[in-house]
Amino acid sequence: MDSAIDAATMANLLDITGGDQGFVDELVDTYIAEGERIVGELDAAAAAGSVPDLVRPAHSLKSSSLNVGALQLGELCRQLEHDALGGAVADPVARASEVKTAFDAARAALLDERTSR
Amino acid sequence: MTPPAGDATMRPGRVLIVDDTQFNRQLLARLLQGIGHEPVEASDGRQALDRLRDLDQPPIDVILLDIVMPEMDGYDVLAALGDDAALRHLPVIVISGVDELDSVVRCLEMGAADYLPRTVDPAILEARIASSLARKRLHDAEREAVDRQAATNEVLAIMSRSAFDLQVVLDASVRAAVRLCRADYGVAYVVEGDAYRVAASAGGTDELDRWEREHTIKPGRDSVVGRVALLGEAIQIEDVQDDREYVATGQQVGGYRTIFGVPIQQDGTVSGVLALTRTEVRPFADAEKALAIGFAEQAAIGVANARLLETIDRQRGQLARFLSPQVAQLVSSPEGEALLAGHRREITAMFCDLRNFTTFSEMAEPEEVLGFLRRYHAMVGSLVVEHEGTLEHFAGDGIMVFFNDPAPQEDHAGRAVRMAVAIRERFAEVSDEWRRRGHILQVGIGIATGYATMGRIGFEGRYDYGGVGNAIILASRLSGEAEPNEILISQRTFAALDGDQATAEPAGERALKGFSRPLLVYSVQPMARAAEAS
Repeated sequence: MDSAIDAATMANLLDITGGDQGFVDELVDTYIAEGERIVGELDAAAAAGSVPDLVRPAHSLKSSSLNVGALQLGELCRQLEHDALGGAVADPVARASEVKTAFDAARAALLDERTSR
Repeated sequence: MTPPAGDATMRPGRVLIVDDTQFNRQLLARLLQGIGHEPVEASDGRQALDRLRDLDQPPIDVILLDIVMPEMDGYDVLAALGDDAALRHLPVIVISGVDELDSVVRCLEMGAADYLPRTVDPAILEARIASSLARKRLHDAEREAVDRQAATNEVLAIMSRSAFDLQVVLDASVRAAVRLCRADYGVAYVVEGDAYRVAASAGGTDELDRWEREHTIKPGRDSVVGRVALLGEAIQIEDVQDDREYVATGQQVGGYRTIFGVPIQQDGTVSGVLALTRTEVRPFADAEKALAIGFAEQAAIGVANARLLETIDRQRGQLARFLSPQVAQLVSSPEGEALLAGHRREITAMFCDLRNFTTFSEMAEPEEVLGFLRRYHAMVGSLVVEHEGTLEHFAGDGIMVFFNDPAPQEDHAGRAVRMAVAIRERFAEVSDEWRRRGHILQVGIGIATGYATMGRIGFEGRYDYGGVGNAIILASRLSGEAEPNEILISQRTFAALDGDQATAEPAGERALKGFSRPLLVYSVQPMARAAEAS
């Protein structure tokens, strides 16, 4: 089964930060905490049907997700940001829910990786 | 232009990360630290601008800017930077994903220097930062060079305006050195006997200034001023706490750690020391040292000019003594003491002063002024001897001579007028030469006859032979009243001329300061016209 986290990206992240696992763990903690907040923002904007308010959270989650190797989540965010910028998001609640599911999977994979070390 | 110290691209920079995502800031900060730079974080555009405009914080060298942010986005930040003259030159690197190239183009159009992909590669980050940093440093170096040039010009302008005022020159040199070498405190010491005494300071507390004033420093290894004076070369102590020989107590008052001292010297002779200090351990860079040496050179010119002026004064004094043979004779004669004690006698006083001398002495080189005064004094001096006048004093450019005292002279008024005419003629020759060099110098002469109290004036060790009386004051007023190259004489002098009266013509009544009613005065004609008239 494909992991929600790309191992090569993760290895690269460890490499470019000088092989400091402690720092990467901190960074992942930040990613998870911040991601939970952003997913909440997306949910709220979608529930309110406010498409412009989807842009910034999608943008933020996109960049950090790509950097920790949550590539599928990053791609979902990219598409959502793109569509929201264009003003055409057919079902915002479904799209936000999609992002939430992908984020949950990424978070689980990141925490699994840590406990299995 | 002064080159920036060291290789600009090799020095670490202070980088402001502007991103609303904590994850991105944390990662970028770590990567920047990894390549030796100092990261500073801001979570939106507003915070970033506040930080950039906070002058209490160390300045930022490069900005890493996210575009999509709450409060104030990347575009707003770029627009605000473009409108701020103090921040316009700061290089901005926009962070963007590969799918955001349209926004990158817009940012570059708005003045961003470069862009970085969102998934960061440390090698690319390092190269982009280095290139922006180099650009920023080049800009800083240019601005600094312009700033330094302006300050140097300012000191030079002050020096040319006040070439003879050592204090003004030292104050300006120390002030400029402190500012441009980024010192916390600066001081100029000038030699006085076998020790050095503070002559100017800038940037210090009243307490430190007082300490410096109350202490002199002797050449020696225990202080920077002493060490520079001893060795005659520039010295930097990077941290006084690591220097075992350094025990100067001024340090405890000033609290400084790094000191740079430069000799103020000319022709290998140290006449003073310029010292700059910092309260933190931060050695002065080569460019700053070079700058301080430049200001010490300017201070040296100021000291040399002041010495030259002292020489002029001294020679003037020696000349005055040499040119008063009557006084010298008098002092050695048996009746001398009685005369010196004071007596009343009718005298003729002549006062002669130069027009434009102040302008001339400010504009001409000190050597020129000295040369001119030498010729002028020698010329007047020989005429005083020739006409047997008594030279009372040389005061600046003014000369006072009187006749009929201490040696009696029947025709004292005639002697005074003949001497004045001779001075006017001889002065024309001297001034022609100076006019060719661009300096217009003219003489104004006043002569008055009357009773005055003559005798020894002054105090023990510094006596002058002189007089007090209306005739002396009137001669001085007439000299001030005279047109350039004119000789004005009082009615009483005119009356005493006897057969020489044809040489002068009435020149109207003049209201003179200190005289209650207008006085009739006469103007002495050139000899050729006087001869025709007779």
